[in-house]
Amino acid sequence: MANETILMLPLYLIGFFSLAAVGLDPLFSKNKKVIYYLSLIGLLEAAISAGYALYLHTLTPAPNIEISYAKNMVSTGGMAYFFDILFCLSGILILLSSPRYFTREYKELSEFYSLILLSVSGMMIMAHSANLLVLFIGIEIMSLSFYILAGFIRIRIMSVEAALKYFLLGAFSTGFLVYGIAMIYGATGTLTLSVIQLSIQTNTINSLYLTIGIGLIIIGLSFKAAIFPFHQWAPDVYHGSPTVIAGFLSAAGKAAAMMAFIIIARAIFGGLSQNNFVKDLYVDVRLVLAVLSAATMLIGNITALVQKNIKRMLAYSSVAHAGYLLMGVVAANERGWSGILFYSTAYILMQIGAFIVISLSERNDEQNLKISEYRGFSKAHPYLAAIMSIFMFSLAGLPPFAGFFGKYYLFTAAVETGYVWLTIVAVISSLISMYFYIGLIIKMYFEDPDTQPMVAESGHAVLALTLSTAGVMIFGIFPSLLMDIAKIFF
Amino acid sequence: MDLFEIIFYFFAAIVLVSALVVVLSKNIMYSAFSLLFTFFGVAGLFVLLNADFVGITQIMVYVGGILVLIIFGVMITTKVTGVDIKEGISGKLQYAGAGIITLLTAIFLSLMFINGKWITGSSTDVHATIHQIGTLLMTKYILAFEAAAILLLIAFIGAALIGRRKA
Amino acid sequence: MNEIPQGYYLLLAGVLFTIGTIGVLTRRNAIIIFMSIELMLNSVNLTLVAFSSFFGDSSGQIFVFFVMAIAAAEAAVGLAIVLALFRLKKTIYVDEANILKY
Repeated sequence: MANETILMLPLYLIGFFSLAAVGLDPLFSKNKKVIYYLSLIGLLEAAISAGYALYLHTLTPAPNIEISYAKNMVSTGGMAYFFDILFCLSGILILLSSPRYFTREYKELSEFYSLILLSVSGMMIMAHSANLLVLFIGIEIMSLSFYILAGFIRIRIMSVEAALKYFLLGAFSTGFLVYGIAMIYGATGTLTLSVIQLSIQTNTINSLYLTIGIGLIIIGLSFKAAIFPFHQWAPDVYHGSPTVIAGFLSAAGKAAAMMAFIIIARAIFGGLSQNNFVKDLYVDVRLVLAVLSAATMLIGNITALVQKNIKRMLAYSSVAHAGYLLMGVVAANERGWSGILFYSTAYILMQIGAFIVISLSERNDEQNLKISEYRGFSKAHPYLAAIMSIFMFSLAGLPPFAGFFGKYYLFTAAVETGYVWLTIVAVISSLISMYFYIGLIIKMYFEDPDTQPMVAESGHAVLALTLSTAGVMIFGIFPSLLMDIAKIFF
Repeated sequence: MDLFEIIFYFFAAIVLVSALVVVLSKNIMYSAFSLLFTFFGVAGLFVLLNADFVGITQIMVYVGGILVLIIFGVMITTKVTGVDIKEGISGKLQYAGAGIITLLTAIFLSLMFINGKWITGSSTDVHATIHQIGTLLMTKYILAFEAAAILLLIAFIGAALIGRRKA
Repeated sequence: MNEIPQGYYLLLAGVLFTIGTIGVLTRRNAIIIFMSIELMLNSVNLTLVAFSSFFGDSSGQIFVFFVMAIAAAEAAVGLAIVLALFRLKKTIYVDEANILKY
């Protein structure tokens, strides 16, 4: 057994580097490059140490068992390390692409790097939580930095409005989430996830409080993940916040909320319970989630059809992707969980990549964002148009890109557990989504430009685009690379 | 009906009525001040539930911190011309009313002080929770405690970043 | 020594939560919406302390401290955002903040 320090190293490193970035920021206020490289190194080191810990974890005899440390506060499961790497990766992509964007649009970058690192550390705390309190604090660290990031360009009305909407609805959903946690505490008398699981197995619970608690937690997390009746904030927030940040919020934030779903669902329904009430409840909860998932996919894709602004279109389509991800929670088997892991990876790569391309072609306070302005994009920027097409194909779920296999795993997981109707709805809504994804490609390649081509000064964003394109291609051609790792965690 | 029930219903009434005023009042200042009573009522209920330290913290954090912040927000963002912070009977009548209430309270309190029978002797039944909470925070929940420190740091940075004037 | 049934506290907390929710949904002023959210968090605290007291377990009370810390952090950030919007638009009514709707 590897020792505790190495297993906890990702958390230590991200904490150390985010605090270092906060502390050093005023010292290097003239030369932001120092903090930039420091943050990149911090995220890289955290990702590498998480990778090493993941490797050690797979060597243990039972890699699907999670081990708790620090008085049952943090756990070291394979899934936690997997998501650690994923969050660090999304942080790296955003860091690489943001300096040019912000110096062009806003002239200021103070505290930006520290906020990205702090939000990543919040997500990593969520990933490692073995206690509802730690999970809740992780969610709040993430959300609070997201509110600030959404309003980062504080002289732009749209950005501040997005921050206000995000803040009010986020705080509202926090109320539901924490009330749900309180009810679960009331039902089981503990906040530790493993003890909750144990007391549900041994049937020492108050079933009424448990039902209410689960319902409230579903509402709270649905807000955070933008799932159907609670998705209205998403388009406004992703449209209003600065473009690169919108990619971060929609991709990493959604993956983190889904991860919270997995953690809570596995704690409550994980063990085979002897309790008939909990078994019935399980069936009902999955049915509710299935209905929510179907509605989310359809609403997201249908509203995306009529959007004229590309950021809004991707925002609505991101709502639909939350629906696809929720299918894995509905399936709730090994294939479903690992499908969520795979699709989160693919989604982070393609969504952030698409937003980086948009940020490169955008000028002067969110101009050049209409879909019609992408006419003839390929003539001015052949490489960017090609990369954007790859992301669009992948988002639409066409082979041989990563998005296809993500959908394939999730859909088959739903079929395996008897939710054939949900899969049919998912396939139909994917077909609907083809229209606007492929429509953008047609505009870029087969229509004539009616505006002047713009110069894209990419800087390090090229690196980020290369990374995400390579990821989408590699995981699309060799999906087993990722899937074989993801499978052993469950 | 014993003393506990009376106290419970008293605080419950305060909480519910003032919460309704917060939500329904047309004047934002009334809402803010009515929130004060809600916070006090909830603090009273905490103490009734044997959570003395939580009750004290409730008053210090909510009333001393959050509510003051909210009232600052109200004062800064409401247009000075549009606000009617002072409303109703104006001038000397107000002073007279305030004076009468203060006098009555003073008389009542001094009567209570003179005539009241003070309980002397140790109370055996009540255990302060502060020791236990402090120990737990520094042992079992130390990780959550540190994480909360990061959270507050983000709040500092964010408030300074967004609240600043144009650069 | 405490003769109030557990259900009374939970019921009170539930009613308080509902009042807060109604406030969030019906009011337009960002600061009043925020106050209503504080009401919701207070009702959660009441629930937690009630459970904690009836279980004789301190972890519920510990949770309350963290909820308070988070409420304070949200208050600071939220009012900064409200202030920034007010500087730009001279309004804090959320339905007048409507550039993003079309």
